[in-house]
Amino acid sequence: MRTERRFFRTGAIAAISLAAIFAAGCAKAKPRTPSGYLQIDINTSPANLDPRVATDAISARIGELVYESLVRIDRDGAFVGDLAEKIERPAPDAIIFHLRHGVRFSDGRPLDARDVLYTYASLLDPKNHSVKRAGLAELAAFDALDRYTIRMITRRPYAAALEMALLGIVPRGTPLAARDAIAAPPGSGPFKVVAFERDEAVTLARNPYYPAPPGALGGIVMKVVPDATVRALELTEGICGFAENDAIQPELIAYLSRQPRLRLIRSNGTTYQYLIFNFRDPRLRDPRVRRAIAYGIDRQAIVAALLRGDARLATGMLAPENWAYNGDVPRYPYDLAKARALLESAGYTRTRPLRLIYKTTPEGRRLAEAIQAMLRRVGVAIEIRTNEFATFYSDLRSGNFDIAASQWVGVADPHQYYLIFDSRMTPQGGGNNRGDYANPEMDRLLEAGDAELDPAARRAIYARVQQIAAADLPYVSLWWIDNVAVIDRRLDGFEPFPNGSLLSLGAARWDSPAASAGAAHP
Amino acid sequence: MGLAGGVRRRRTPVIRYFIRRLTALVPVALGVVTLTFALVHLVPGDPVVAMLGDYAAPADVQALRHELGLDRPLWRQYVAFLYGLAHGDLGESISQREPVSRLIRERYPATVELAVAGLAAAILIAFPLGLVAGADPGGPADMGAMGFAILGISVPHLYLGPLLMIVFSLDLGWLPLTGRGGLSHLILPALTLGAALAAILARMLRQSLVEVSDADYMRTARAKGLSRPRALIGHGLRNALTPVVTLLGLEAGALLTGSIVTEIIFSWPGLGRLMITAINNRDYPLVQGCVMVFALSYVAVNLATDLLYSAIDPRVRLSR
Amino acid sequence: MTARRNPSLVAGGAIVAALTAIALLGPVLNRTDPLAINLSLALAGPGPGHPLGCDSLGRDILARILAGARVSLGVSIVVVALSLAIGAIVGGAAALAGGRIDGAVMRTVDIVLAFPGILLAIALAAILGPGLLDLVIALGAIGWTGYARLVRGEVLSLREREYVEAARALGARPGRLLFRHLLPGVAGPLAVQATFGAGGLIIAEAALSFLGLGVPPPAPSWGNMLDSGRAFILVAPHLTTAPGVAIGLSVLGFNLLGDGLAQRFGRRR
Repeated sequence: MRTERRFFRTGAIAAISLAAIFAAGCAKAKPRTPSGYLQIDINTSPANLDPRVATDAISARIGELVYESLVRIDRDGAFVGDLAEKIERPAPDAIIFHLRHGVRFSDGRPLDARDVLYTYASLLDPKNHSVKRAGLAELAAFDALDRYTIRMITRRPYAAALEMALLGIVPRGTPLAARDAIAAPPGSGPFKVVAFERDEAVTLARNPYYPAPPGALGGIVMKVVPDATVRALELTEGICGFAENDAIQPELIAYLSRQPRLRLIRSNGTTYQYLIFNFRDPRLRDPRVRRAIAYGIDRQAIVAALLRGDARLATGMLAPENWAYNGDVPRYPYDLAKARALLESAGYTRTRPLRLIYKTTPEGRRLAEAIQAMLRRVGVAIEIRTNEFATFYSDLRSGNFDIAASQWVGVADPHQYYLIFDSRMTPQGGGNNRGDYANPEMDRLLEAGDAELDPAARRAIYARVQQIAAADLPYVSLWWIDNVAVIDRRLDGFEPFPNGSLLSLGAARWDSPAASAGAAHP
Repeated sequence: MGLAGGVRRRRTPVIRYFIRRLTALVPVALGVVTLTFALVHLVPGDPVVAMLGDYAAPADVQALRHELGLDRPLWRQYVAFLYGLAHGDLGESISQREPVSRLIRERYPATVELAVAGLAAAILIAFPLGLVAGADPGGPADMGAMGFAILGISVPHLYLGPLLMIVFSLDLGWLPLTGRGGLSHLILPALTLGAALAAILARMLRQSLVEVSDADYMRTARAKGLSRPRALIGHGLRNALTPVVTLLGLEAGALLTGSIVTEIIFSWPGLGRLMITAINNRDYPLVQGCVMVFALSYVAVNLATDLLYSAIDPRVRLSR
Repeated sequence: MTARRNPSLVAGGAIVAALTAIALLGPVLNRTDPLAINLSLALAGPGPGHPLGCDSLGRDILARILAGARVSLGVSIVVVALSLAIGAIVGGAAALAGGRIDGAVMRTVDIVLAFPGILLAIALAAILGPGLLDLVIALGAIGWTGYARLVRGEVLSLREREYVEAARALGARPGRLLFRHLLPGVAGPLAVQATFGAGGLIIAEAALSFLGLGVPPPAPSWGNMLDSGRAFILVAPHLTTAPGVAIGLSVLGFNLLGDGLAQRFGRRR
């Protein structure tokens, strides 16, 4: 009998807790995002927010909202002053930056030349192993002429020198190899980081020392949501008010744009998707095989079906928005017959399938499968390697692939061509020529392009570079992906950048007073 | 099967038994650690490259590799790792530059919370189903309950999770979609995680009840005039519970490690997602730490089950 | 007669037999190429020529389900056979040898059981390169432990039986003892566990696909179809329904069959 009583007691407790769980569940959950804040869903967690070490795309996106740099890239892809209100070039190897007065970090400290020098010095300190040191290889000296004037000297006349001025500035004295990497240092941008829970969320509040327009966002919560369907559901339910590019699955765009509370913003983008060939494979060293593959991929059909039309077919790495763009290059429209004929003339044998690696996302996999099926028709067997990211990345760098699908995001200066196509810029040589492509004429042009300061002469050099790249086909250019943002209708003032930057959110605001009524710091 | 397979049966005080089981954990833990170390280092991929990314200079890669001790022979890295472990030091995460123990401490509660909730959901679903089915084997209630249970086993997590979200969050608007918060955030992931276990438990409970209802003491109880359900609850249930609890122990450990898929679907900030990220970054110390915590939790749950088992069934003596 | 006494056995057997037939006859039944893409039909719903619709690359879902049966059931059955063989030999040998060897083997089983299987799968996928073989090895490397425990337990209890004692007294060598006398006695429970295991493996294949470790493309498996369709659950639910039902049905079949066998052999799981 005691057993019986005990059982009933247990049963009663169970029933009560069950009821409690459901009662709690039915009471609509409180949103975690403070009112007046904007929630942005992102697909991967930022790794480290300190601008001196951040390399991943999400950290860089957040960094633009928190840190200011000497210069930044505007909507047209040109360099404009950020902390620098005036930029001078007194000599081919020198640049002088005049800093804005009255800038303050989010903790109230004023920003001046000493902070800039400190930021660069701590990055360059070999002890700190910053990954960004290699990017400053051309920097010879950096000094302050007075409290608000900085001079940058390069090792030689260097056209892409301003790329080295894109580093976010932190207050002097901020240690770099911080064991407590979760705390991001203060910056002078429109927002400050108030919480960073890795793989969960980054919470940004307004920087009180940065002027805000009336009705501006009280802050931003960047929430990490790895699943595309869940991100779409959060947008639909109004939990999330903003998602863009990688965070939106192309096939869901139509569904999302039907939702009454959402608005779709679409603009041309500069993210360049390509296939890279590995010249270490003797078959791929034959230009006819590379051309056959280029002709054998129906890029128009892939863009229509997989990207739902949200991309422009690419002719090269630089998009038409870039000042150095040259569209007068060999093109490879889909032509199955030509592809087969080229392959036959090359005497291509089917001994071993070509290994295709790709960035491991569901979208990447669909693309890889579409390319695999199309090249099967041409007569090229493809084996898709599905690996998680670290393996993909290490395979890409070590040349352990035949073909790889990848993309370049945010290319601004054509100097990037030097890093990817100069024969010395292999991963071992510190560059990104991963396919071991080599062409002496290309090398000559790329080195000349870096040293040429006259824009017109420089443009002519890169016009030729783009022609050689399209003829030699170290890459098959696929497309430039459009920028797509799905945002809450009440959000005003968001201006898309071709490189996907969120910079305009600093001045964005809620259009209805109700939405910003509760705007306050958490 | 834990105890059922025991050969010798001897009376042993619970404490001594407990200590013996704990010492038996040491070789298991050591084995798990060694296996993890070997696997993580065998896999191609490089934590330094994953960390430094596109623009790193080779000299920096080399320097960082040296600082992290990754250029030492493998056996010395292993010895160093074991040495740290013996001093309670799990090392420092390579990609996040924070102590592994702290990262794990941050995430572990969320995983335990999810596992416990999954277990609770499984029990709360399984018991009514199992009782209803077992009370009248072959009847319509039995068919219905067992059909439902079979459904629970057959639907994979990665299908059930999104389905539950669409129905309960998008369409009905009752429950939040993702994230960790109050009880309401817990329900959908718990149901997703617990569904399969609920089905297995319900079937086991039914089977067990059917078997005990044929036992002599049940016939006696019925003969004394107790109704069938009362007899079942009063006398049968306790005996029927023994195999259910054993199963629960075996499966509860699996629940912990099986939560990875659920954690990803529901953006749950648990250890499973931490481990996947660590694997992706080739963050050796962090992977080792996560695997060890998972493995030890599994072993601890099994130990707890064995103890619970002996509490429920006094005929079973602690052995081995 | 059996049908009335043991409906689970009959129903489960029928489902499993039907699925096996589909898997074996796959190429004969398939009139559409399961690998051929047609991007203009991407996400198309069910219609003439494509009774179950098309997936995100415009491939015929019915053709892929039929072809996937071969992969999903094949992986499941091969892995069960592999795990069972390893488990039976290891468990049986441990039980017969006893003492230190037994202890060492059982500790190994404990270690493997406590080890997160996902890490093993990722590691093997990275070392061996992705492929069916690697998937089978990864799942088998985790799966054998359950059988080893079961066989060891059963052999320990059988060992004391008279016929085994008699065989041993007649000088039978341990190997012969295990294969001729002991394992046949374990066959019933092993069959039950293997049947349930086969169902579990179909789910496991789906979970590994979710983590990007399943059957490599372009080969269709129910797991990778379910996983790749999941992203379209809001706009094209038919991509997940078909593999979801196929997985559910086969797991149901294996479980019913397992129940039936358990009843037949007079023991529970």
